[in-house]
Amino acid sequence: MSGGFGVVQEQDWDALGDEEFRQLVRAWVEANYPEELRFPPGRLLWSQQGEWVRALARKGWIAPGWPLEFGGMGLSPVKQVIFAQEFERFGVARFQDHGITQVGPIIMSFGSPEQRAQWLPPILAAEHIWAQGYSEPEAGSDLASLRTRARRDGDEYVVDGQKIWTTLAHDATHIYVLVRTDPKAPKPQAGISFLLADLASPGITVRPIRDIAGHSELCEVFFDGVRVPVANRIGEENKGWTIAKSLLGHERINVGSPKQPGYALEMVVAVARERGLLEEPVFRDRLAALQLDVAHLGDAYARYTAMLARGEQIGPDVSMLKIWATETVAAIADLIIEAGGDAGGLAGKVALGSTEIDVLGAYYKARPAMVYAGSNEIQRNIIATAVLGLPRG
Amino acid sequence: MSGAAQADTLHLLADVASDFAKPDPARVRALRDAGGRLDREMWAQIAANGWIGIAVPEHAGGAGLGLEAVAIVARRLGYAGFPEPYVAAAVLAPQLLAASARPAAVELLERTLAGEALCAVAWQGPNGGLGPEATAVSLESGRLRGEARFLGLADADSYLVAAREGDGLSFHLVPADADGLSAVDEQRADGTADVRINLAGVSPEECILDAGEGAAALAGSVDAARVAVSAELVGLLERALEMTLEFMRQRQQFGRPIGSQQALQHRAVDAWIQAQLAAAALDAAIAVFEDGGAAASRRAAAASSAKSRASQAATGICNEALQMHGAIGFTDEYDLGLYVNRALALSPWLGGAGEHRRRYADLVDIAGEGRAS
Repeated sequence: MSGGFGVVQEQDWDALGDEEFRQLVRAWVEANYPEELRFPPGRLLWSQQGEWVRALARKGWIAPGWPLEFGGMGLSPVKQVIFAQEFERFGVARFQDHGITQVGPIIMSFGSPEQRAQWLPPILAAEHIWAQGYSEPEAGSDLASLRTRARRDGDEYVVDGQKIWTTLAHDATHIYVLVRTDPKAPKPQAGISFLLADLASPGITVRPIRDIAGHSELCEVFFDGVRVPVANRIGEENKGWTIAKSLLGHERINVGSPKQPGYALEMVVAVARERGLLEEPVFRDRLAALQLDVAHLGDAYARYTAMLARGEQIGPDVSMLKIWATETVAAIADLIIEAGGDAGGLAGKVALGSTEIDVLGAYYKARPAMVYAGSNEIQRNIIATAVLGLPRG
Repeated sequence: MSGAAQADTLHLLADVASDFAKPDPARVRALRDAGGRLDREMWAQIAANGWIGIAVPEHAGGAGLGLEAVAIVARRLGYAGFPEPYVAAAVLAPQLLAASARPAAVELLERTLAGEALCAVAWQGPNGGLGPEATAVSLESGRLRGEARFLGLADADSYLVAAREGDGLSFHLVPADADGLSAVDEQRADGTADVRINLAGVSPEECILDAGEGAAALAGSVDAARVAVSAELVGLLERALEMTLEFMRQRQQFGRPIGSQQALQHRAVDAWIQAQLAAAALDAAIAVFEDGGAAASRRAAAASSAKSRASQAATGICNEALQMHGAIGFTDEYDLGLYVNRALALSPWLGGAGEHRRRYADLVDIAGEGRAS
């Protein structure tokens, strides 16, 4: 089946049964994903995984959720969840996928035909790798207070300011940024525009930030008189906030998958076995509580996937999955460290009995997960007002 | 029944249950203040609705609607704060009777479903417990001796008494007025009456399950009842949470609704998340019971999963509800307390959060050390 931008799909995936589709995805992933890249401790760089992502692109599978007409696989929400589950199951590392999950869908919804033709094909070919320029030093949870300024100069904007916590910006080719185009707008949300920029533009400096786990996945991005064509603005001027906020929906369900907490549980059992804790009643009780926390996350997650299967819309209540999944992993991570005893303070893979285990790995994954993609406190604010109907503060 | 017809029936059942079971705090208080005995008129209506033994298979005279139907009714009764011993007398006892093919059991089941007979399962000894090891009555030389407790109602006209017999567990039909049987009422936290019975050499009327059958029948019925009481707890906690959110929207302090305070909002969200988890665990347990091929150990794990979360969430949410309401919530005049006390009564019954958490872990045996019992 030939779709948009010359991307060919071997068949109509949605015509397959769910289980048949699952087996097909599983078989291909197992046959093609490099063994040495399975379950990496942190994010991989493009130099490590670019070849795999390009293979995914050649297969026509880089954009499972995009419609066929835009070169995607055209999968139903349920099949997208299956697709993600199979990748997760095999330990396929996440790549810098903001082109696929964020900016691509925004361009489809809000871009002009010319913009779609210009920007979507290089995303599908894994040539453009996108980073997200939202947060700023003074605009984290309160994102609308962002100050990076874009002044109009003829056919160009001149951008000055700073973005921060930009995941893998040093490994990306492009960045989509929220900029302030009208500082005098009555509400801060009303003066923001959405721009696309080449990270190779003169005036852009990217500086990796080393995190407490010793990784450098996050960056600062400085804009100093950077000239961005007005043609690179998506949507109308000062309407960028609406565009950025439009990206809610079924992808948020993946954050709530019980897989990560499940891995963390396996790890706590492995550590406990080596340290002889499995028969210790207090430890067993704590483990049992976390087992049920993970089981019930799975039960809640299954309810949302069933809603997708029935074609129902997922509402803002799905944020509970993010809160519960990340906080459960964090609680398990704490227990892993405690179960490790004195070895709980050692970095990297640590010799424990007959095996080697990274006892701090879960901790360093769990802590940032409660902060990024809308901190868990922001998620609670959203549920309080949008789901529980409590008055705004 | 086809899947679609079953879905329609359950949909209708949910509508009927919502219309029938409306919160009626005046009735609940009046019954409580009169000693917490059964409201016979209400029980007759519940029987007339066809809700007793609703999961009992059709060949045994029941509606055969499965545990999903039981959960729909129990959840609504929980939401409405009904004090009726629905799970004890309309789920547990009929399920156990349906496991027996003996004429006396068949006849008693028929009268139970019609609301003419009221029976209670007497299987736990004075210290309670989760399985047959909890039983403290034994059958020796044709006589029952020992004690039973936590039956869930005080008004039964007959008891299905579990008895240790050699290595096995048998069940016997004993009328409430049998010679040698004495009963003492125990008041539950919500004011409903339970009973503790002593059997001093009672001659059972009939054996309904012999020593080789009793343990499996008990496990199956009690696990189904645990899912049912989880449903009642979920309904109850949903109402307690709803009342709390209403209060948080209305109650003004410092010139604004207390529900606009972020500190309280986040606690309300955490309570709501517990409610979601309890409902999800309940749905998952029902699905296991509806899967005809599920092994008894899977059903047991599913029942423990649901009951552990429901007990924990119900007490946790009621605690938060009390704190959010402030002093008014602690008064008997205000209805919240009826739900708090019902949660206190039902959360430990048939096993509390901690016991079921440990049972679940033993059954699922994540460490693969073969500890499953």
